[in-house]
Amino acid sequence: MRHKEGQKPYLSLKNIDRFFGITKALQGVNLDIYAGEVIGLVGPNGAGKSTLMKILTGVLPRTDGEIIYNGAPEETYNARVAKQIGVNCAYQDLSLCTNLSIFENFAMLSVSHSPAPIRNWRNKTRTEVRNLIDTYFPENNIDIMKPLETLSLTDRQVVEICKTLMADNLKILILDEPTSALSSDKARQLHKIVADLSARGVAVIYISHKLDEIRVVSDRIVLLTNGRNKGEFYSDEITQEELIAHMGGASEKKKRTSPDFSGQPDMLKITDLNARGLNHINLYLKKGEIMGISGLAGSGQQELLQQIFSARTKNIRGIELNGRLSYVSGDRAAEGVFPFWNIRNNILIANLDRVKGRLLIDGKKADQSAQSWYDKLKFRAQGIDSNIMSLSGGNQQKALIARGIASEADIIILNDPTAGVDIGTKQDIYRLLDEIRQMGKSVILYSTEDLEMEICDRVYVMRDGCITKELKGDEIHVSSLVKAAFIETEKKEIKEKPKSVLSQYMAAPWMLPLITLIVIFAANVLINPNLMSYTGLRMKISSALPLVLAALGQMFIVMCGDVDMGNGYSIGLVNVIAGIWLTGNPLLGLLGLVGFTGLYMLLAALIKIRQIPAIVVTMGAQFVWYGLALLICPTPGGACPQWLSAFLRLKLPVIPLPVVIAVLAGLACWYLLFRCRYGIILRGSGNNVQALERSGWSHLAAKVTAYGIAGFFVVLAGLAYTSTCNGADANSSVNYNMMSIATVILGGCDMAGGVPVPMGVVMAAVVMNLINSLLTAMKMNSNFQTAIIGLILIGVLALKFLIHRKERGGYES
Amino acid sequence: MNHKMKKVLESPVIWPLMGCIILYALICAVSGAVNVRVITSGLKLCVFAMLLGIAQMIVVTSGKGAIDISQKYILTLTAYISCELMQYSIPLGLGMAVLAGMACGLINACINVYLNIHAMITTMATGYLYYTVILLVSNKFANSPDSTFVKFTNTNLAGINSMTALVIAIAMILYLVLYKSKYGMNLHAVGQKREAARLAGIPVHKTVITAFVINGALCGLAGALNAAYCGGANQDLGTTYFLPSIAACFVGGTNAAGGRSNIIAVCVGAFMMTLMSTFLNAANISVGGQRLIQGIFIVLLLVAATKK
Repeated sequence: MRHKEGQKPYLSLKNIDRFFGITKALQGVNLDIYAGEVIGLVGPNGAGKSTLMKILTGVLPRTDGEIIYNGAPEETYNARVAKQIGVNCAYQDLSLCTNLSIFENFAMLSVSHSPAPIRNWRNKTRTEVRNLIDTYFPENNIDIMKPLETLSLTDRQVVEICKTLMADNLKILILDEPTSALSSDKARQLHKIVADLSARGVAVIYISHKLDEIRVVSDRIVLLTNGRNKGEFYSDEITQEELIAHMGGASEKKKRTSPDFSGQPDMLKITDLNARGLNHINLYLKKGEIMGISGLAGSGQQELLQQIFSARTKNIRGIELNGRLSYVSGDRAAEGVFPFWNIRNNILIANLDRVKGRLLIDGKKADQSAQSWYDKLKFRAQGIDSNIMSLSGGNQQKALIARGIASEADIIILNDPTAGVDIGTKQDIYRLLDEIRQMGKSVILYSTEDLEMEICDRVYVMRDGCITKELKGDEIHVSSLVKAAFIETEKKEIKEKPKSVLSQYMAAPWMLPLITLIVIFAANVLINPNLMSYTGLRMKISSALPLVLAALGQMFIVMCGDVDMGNGYSIGLVNVIAGIWLTGNPLLGLLGLVGFTGLYMLLAALIKIRQIPAIVVTMGAQFVWYGLALLICPTPGGACPQWLSAFLRLKLPVIPLPVVIAVLAGLACWYLLFRCRYGIILRGSGNNVQALERSGWSHLAAKVTAYGIAGFFVVLAGLAYTSTCNGADANSSVNYNMMSIATVILGGCDMAGGVPVPMGVVMAAVVMNLINSLLTAMKMNSNFQTAIIGLILIGVLALKFLIHRKERGGYES
Repeated sequence: MNHKMKKVLESPVIWPLMGCIILYALICAVSGAVNVRVITSGLKLCVFAMLLGIAQMIVVTSGKGAIDISQKYILTLTAYISCELMQYSIPLGLGMAVLAGMACGLINACINVYLNIHAMITTMATGYLYYTVILLVSNKFANSPDSTFVKFTNTNLAGINSMTALVIAIAMILYLVLYKSKYGMNLHAVGQKREAARLAGIPVHKTVITAFVINGALCGLAGALNAAYCGGANQDLGTTYFLPSIAACFVGGTNAAGGRSNIIAVCVGAFMMTLMSTFLNAANISVGGQRLIQGIFIVLLLVAATKK
């Protein structure tokens, strides 16, 4: 609802400036936010919308200006203050952890930070989340217990939006391009939610490029261009055309007649191409032609471009390519720029042959070539030696297009090249395209901006992986494109085969270690039936115990996306602390072990704060562990503390103690990671740090905690080791390093982080131990034992990769 | 001038170089004399860490967290091969050692690239395999070096040991390959961002595989030289050089995520690591104290050398 005359704004941004170095992202921007009013925030890409929203959510500090809340200026405005005021944002790049279940993603935001236990928090949160999603998006079919990665992009967007609605004191809701991934029925549901919220007095800021949508949803439209206010309009008082004109879009429209290409040779011809996400594609591209690919985002355009590019190196049925290809991506950060390099190298990399002497690159030639591009494209930079990251997005894009042209390809694929580029640079880019065409090269242009398609000679419009319309010359304008984009295709009923309970279990990460364990155990029993006895089992598992505990510790570090390369020696350090200090002076020993765990936590802080790779730091740290251990115990000696060996000698009825310890250790880790509130944070930290921090959790604290737990398990492993060898030796436990890493991998954890599998790790550790005894029992040459472990490791991972590839498919280079 | 000064200070060479100067000063202080021989013998001692460090740097630069932890096994294996084959001919032994190293690198690379297994896990697993091969050949192959080859490693050319001269020459060639050739540019591009490199038309797989193969070749050469230097091959030959070489690689400013390297800084880093052990030995510190000081020194240098 529109704000009333004289109504006081809930929050005001006044004269906000924000500079990044010399780039002025925002200059004197004003925004009044009234309770219950829906603001449509529009402007071309790079206008400063997201910077403004980052200031509003307190993620970015402002360079200058005032933020006025309830009439009084807020001096220190940060993310915490913003939360208190009730500002919430659904981000376009989704602040969700894909490894967590949907309900856990919500819990990350809503659960209490206090360490006090809360009874039944899982059930409570679960009901809350269920109700929330069902209220706002009825008939959603989202299983909140499933991991987020199983959801489609649309459903993920729904989750992201619902997550922001969960806040108790929601006063200002920012929706950043919320419908970019939503299907039209979900988008309609969202529009209804916005209306409801507005009726409840919540202010909504709705950012979108879809101008028709903005006019329907919002009460007031605020227009930003080039980091400045460009006007405010009431939605019912302005037409879409007027809006476009205000953004500077319409004035650039120039009609030009397309030449006749019929006599030109085909550079590319696709006949009846069927591939992942593509159905019966037929198209052609003539020499010197600019061909556009349009349609709603996600209709198969990306897949088509990737298929065409893949045809460069391999034969794909249905694609006939008559020339060389180059590819220019609009996703500069992920697919475009080489961030360590200057402009020169970024332009030349695709065409080093031209600037090569006989063997080496000719520096002079390279400079000349790069300089000619630099002058031609009028970069706003100090020179060709400026680092590419010091340039604005638009100028980076110019360098990438220059790279594409310089590669001397006959066909240049441009994938949304003007994303996030300001209007001025856009014009430069359009001029470049014209030049490319005049050089006799062909262009394939995909853009999410329909207006841009007007520079094409011919446009294919896609829907659901099919080409639904071909537009030529004068037929190409925004309205015809939009109309064509909504042409219904014959929907192929895609039925997802419901996964049977069995196949679900088979896919569980702990399944492989379980099966291996059963097989290896059975083989062991066959050779040595004594293993099944109480004593046999006790001895076997007892010797596996150090590895079980060491691997569980390693698991916590791998969960963070790191790896501990020093735990072989750190177990040795615990071993000597236990064997010398703990035996002689228990208090000193205890202090030593606590101090040791503290050092692990210190390591985590160092890794996080200085951003040094963990692999390197832990490798350096192992000298420290080894040195300390040698200082305490220069030559092997010492003994296991009496109480420790007495404890481990305890005879439990039926199940031997080591088995109980191994299972309990695994279960404890499982409980901590999968049932405690902080477990969500620990697992999330290995997946999406941004999501963690946006939900108000500290990544540093999570990392230090994980390393602390890892240190604690190293202590346990060291104690178990001390009891098995009944002595202290700084040097004898080195193998646990590699073994623990191998165990964690076999146990089903992911090296990339975020996926701990405690029970899988416990089973894998036992397997590792049993393999060795099996080989010994089979009178296998002991030399082969290490090789077998190596082969199993490669085999398991290769199997995983093959299964995964079958499931996912995708493009491999 | 100021600008140049800044550039020098930002160069990754600065940290290991300062380490060298400090350590040299300490060595002089401990031994009570300024001794040039410390430098010449250090240059001879450091060639193995240098070869492995450079090799590691090339692998790490290929990106995606690549690292080769099977280096020490490749070195040991090729040491045996060189000892065995040099009985017949020195070039044969040397050549086969390098070739065997390359083969190991190729195996590592193919598993890493085509089965998409993390390089660290891959090389850990293949390291186990190579170790088994080492155990199998250790009692069949000759384990003493060819005397003529040993003589070569002990000759001095203008006061510089022949091994040192050879390794410096190789480092100079690799400098050109890494920073002035098409392959070097491609390698650094692939290391920064594999997807961007693929879309720029760079053969990503080939580039990564080549990096591993060069790494293997350097390990093979190190193996042959080391067998001669140590008076023969033994099962744990490579272990000594594993940590110094990794430390040299990262203290030399190699970006652990790939895409940025500095071969000169890595070489200086390897020299520094050798000076460090010289100092610790000269200072008459217990082994435990030596390791402790070494560890703290390395971690501090990493903190200083890592670019944010």
